[in-house]
Amino acid sequence: MKGKNTNSLSTRIVFLIALVSLIITFGVLSVFEKINREAFYQMEMEKADIIAKTIEPLVALNIYLDMQENVNQIVLQLLENPNILSVKIATPEKIINKKLSEHYKENQDGSFVVESTIFQPDTKQKIGTITLIYSNKKYKELVGKHASMTLYLLFGLVIVFLFFSLYIRKLLSPLRTISKMLKNYTPEQHIEIPFASQNNEIGLISNILNEMQHKISEYAKKQKDISHYLEEKVTEKTSQLRHQLYANSLTNLPNRLSLLKDITFFDNTALLIINIDDFKEINDFFGHFVGDAVLMKFSTRLIIMVEQDKNIVVHHLFGDEFALLFLQKPPLQDFIRIAQKLNGDIEKMILFHENNEIGIRATIGGAYQTDGGLEKADIALKSAKKQRKSFLLYDEKLHIEKQYKENMEWVKKLRKAVEQDMIVPFFQPIVDNYTDKIVSYECLIRLIDDNKNIVNPYLFLNIAKKSRLYSTLTKIMIEKSCRHFEHLEYDFSVNLSVEDILDNDIVDYIKNKIAMYGVADKIVFEILESEGIENYEEISIFTKEMKKLGCRIAIDDFGSGYSNFEHLLKLNIDYIKIDGTLIKNLDKDINAQIIVEVIVDFAKKLNIFTIAEFVHSKEVFEKVKELNVNRSQGFFIAEPQKSI
Amino acid sequence: MKKILLLLFMFINLAYGYTYDNLLLKAQASIFPKIIMLDKKLESKLVDGKIIYTIVYEKDDYETALEVEKFIDEKYNGHLNDYLYKINLVEFSNLSKETKTSAIYSLNSEKQIKKVAEVAQQKGVVTFSYDIDNLKNGLLFSLVLEKSTVLYCNKNNLHSQDISFVDSLYRIVKFIESKSDIQKKLYNDIPLFNSYKTVVAGL
Repeated sequence: MKGKNTNSLSTRIVFLIALVSLIITFGVLSVFEKINREAFYQMEMEKADIIAKTIEPLVALNIYLDMQENVNQIVLQLLENPNILSVKIATPEKIINKKLSEHYKENQDGSFVVESTIFQPDTKQKIGTITLIYSNKKYKELVGKHASMTLYLLFGLVIVFLFFSLYIRKLLSPLRTISKMLKNYTPEQHIEIPFASQNNEIGLISNILNEMQHKISEYAKKQKDISHYLEEKVTEKTSQLRHQLYANSLTNLPNRLSLLKDITFFDNTALLIINIDDFKEINDFFGHFVGDAVLMKFSTRLIIMVEQDKNIVVHHLFGDEFALLFLQKPPLQDFIRIAQKLNGDIEKMILFHENNEIGIRATIGGAYQTDGGLEKADIALKSAKKQRKSFLLYDEKLHIEKQYKENMEWVKKLRKAVEQDMIVPFFQPIVDNYTDKIVSYECLIRLIDDNKNIVNPYLFLNIAKKSRLYSTLTKIMIEKSCRHFEHLEYDFSVNLSVEDILDNDIVDYIKNKIAMYGVADKIVFEILESEGIENYEEISIFTKEMKKLGCRIAIDDFGSGYSNFEHLLKLNIDYIKIDGTLIKNLDKDINAQIIVEVIVDFAKKLNIFTIAEFVHSKEVFEKVKELNVNRSQGFFIAEPQKSI
Repeated sequence: MKKILLLLFMFINLAYGYTYDNLLLKAQASIFPKIIMLDKKLESKLVDGKIIYTIVYEKDDYETALEVEKFIDEKYNGHLNDYLYKINLVEFSNLSKETKTSAIYSLNSEKQIKKVAEVAQQKGVVTFSYDIDNLKNGLLFSLVLEKSTVLYCNKNNLHSQDISFVDSLYRIVKFIESKSDIQKKLYNDIPLFNSYKTVVAGL
């Protein structure tokens, strides 16, 4: 409360009342002052006027009767009045009388000047004027008296307000006392307010405060209990959430987030990531419930395997992926040995479910580097999977990171090329070996880069498949090829992957474009045999549909894969394009000549046309003809061109 | 001897007419017509639209009456404000209630003053007297030259006549009610009488 007197209620009340009262009083007094001054002025003026008007008839009569000495007497009598400083009586022709009082000089400043017209008594015509100079001494005295009265009144008011403020302070002093008492109040204590017995507002407040203290005390006790209960609950829930945040909900093992935290926390770690091979099959075959049970059992076994080494922490990253974090890096050889042993132990692991034995294999990726350990172990795992190895340690020499970076760059380039319409078909002619005439063209995909360079598809097709841009590229090739050959009298072939054929959206798109450009009888779909055709039934459906429309089917790179001849026959194909590896050295390679001869013989029997790819020299071309291959395609005949 | 000669001279004068102060005559000739104009009921007293100012005199004072007429004409030149006036000189003996007049100015007379007062009262016209002493016999106004010009009025006579003046006139005139007032005035205030008193005292 110290230093805050100006904020006290009593001071404020008194100050405000005093201020308002003073403003009102000042306003009223100012108005009165003005009115009174005006009234005093008018009063004195009226006095002077009355004097002038009183003497006017006498003066008028005396002037009228030419008794001007009487006028002089009247003037002298007037000047006996100390308030009259000067009298001037004049007619239009002359000043009849003009006299100054002996007080004239000392009182002339600010005095009133009154002029009254003199009228002739009988005709009431103006015959002159009386000019009185009337002293303002009386007026000044009145104004002075009024001002001093006002000051006394104001002084009186100030005194009254002083007493009033003291009285208000005294009245409100119990409130100050109460506030001081309650300043350090806590719900645990009870303060007895002493003014409860007073029969006024202070008494009422005191009683209410006493009651309130009791209620607060009870409420605080309850709140304390609730707070204690809530604190316990919050601690428990926090612990649960923390556990959920950092643990896998199925196996209860530390999760990926926990692994990242541990890697950040420890500065000399090594990591193994274990992925259960073909776990999807277990899930699909036995169901997710069994899959979960397998994961739980696997996690238990994994813990048992490494429990003796306190340096290793087992994590369950997600689904079928686990990790072993070495908090302290072991020697590299030991690290590799542990990983290989682990792999061997897992292969020996047999899990049982309802009398079924479930064998497990796993692929392990390891990172001996602490920085970016998780990413590096992950890369090693993916490489191991790709290379069908059971364990692979991340090696900087693999340049995997660089490859990833390049792949990402290619994805960007591809997207840009698609957006800027820089994916174009190039056309390579196919000639009839008997007539040496062009009978058709193969449409080959090309990318035109920012420098207008023509980019071959082997640089970007695999990346396109991974980035899901492949179907877009297929659509572009279909659209542009169909449009190009719409009005040309040549057959043309377009490459389709198995993936394209299995994509209903692509198949619908192909049908739509064939119909749109009317090229069903010109188009040949080249299906790549090199990828290894496995889904014969689905591809058979496609080939039947296309042939029904009038299209033809070719098997590309025939001889490079492991396709089943019997199944291939069921596809009802029209052309076999013999793989370039067989043609390349056909003029010299006797084995290749034998294989090509067999293929040609086999095709002829089935009325299938044969086409030799990669015909790059005259010798090869001659050999192809000699072996009765129907058609040829290759750089010896013509390179792929932008237009026909 | 000188005193005897002076006294003799005075008696001779009394025997052959009154003595008039020329200055006083002039003053009265100047002021009295104007007082007529202050009568609120002047319109009822006009004769043929004119103000008739009658000067009554004893036969021996005819010259004085003429002199007064001359003074008035010189001053007013035939009209008072918008009214034309006419001055009639009438001997006391010829004055009667048939005499047409708007106001009467009376020179001195030993016996005829009361008659003038009666005629004036009957006709309701204002009367002026050369001599203040005549006010006691019923005339209304007289004028005396003291330190200043003083106009006297007999209050009693004012009430007995149908005359009403502008109010301010009543404030400048000196009212005389009784004979004793006039005597007192004659002996104390009037310079002429003072000179007489001096003369008498000298005698």
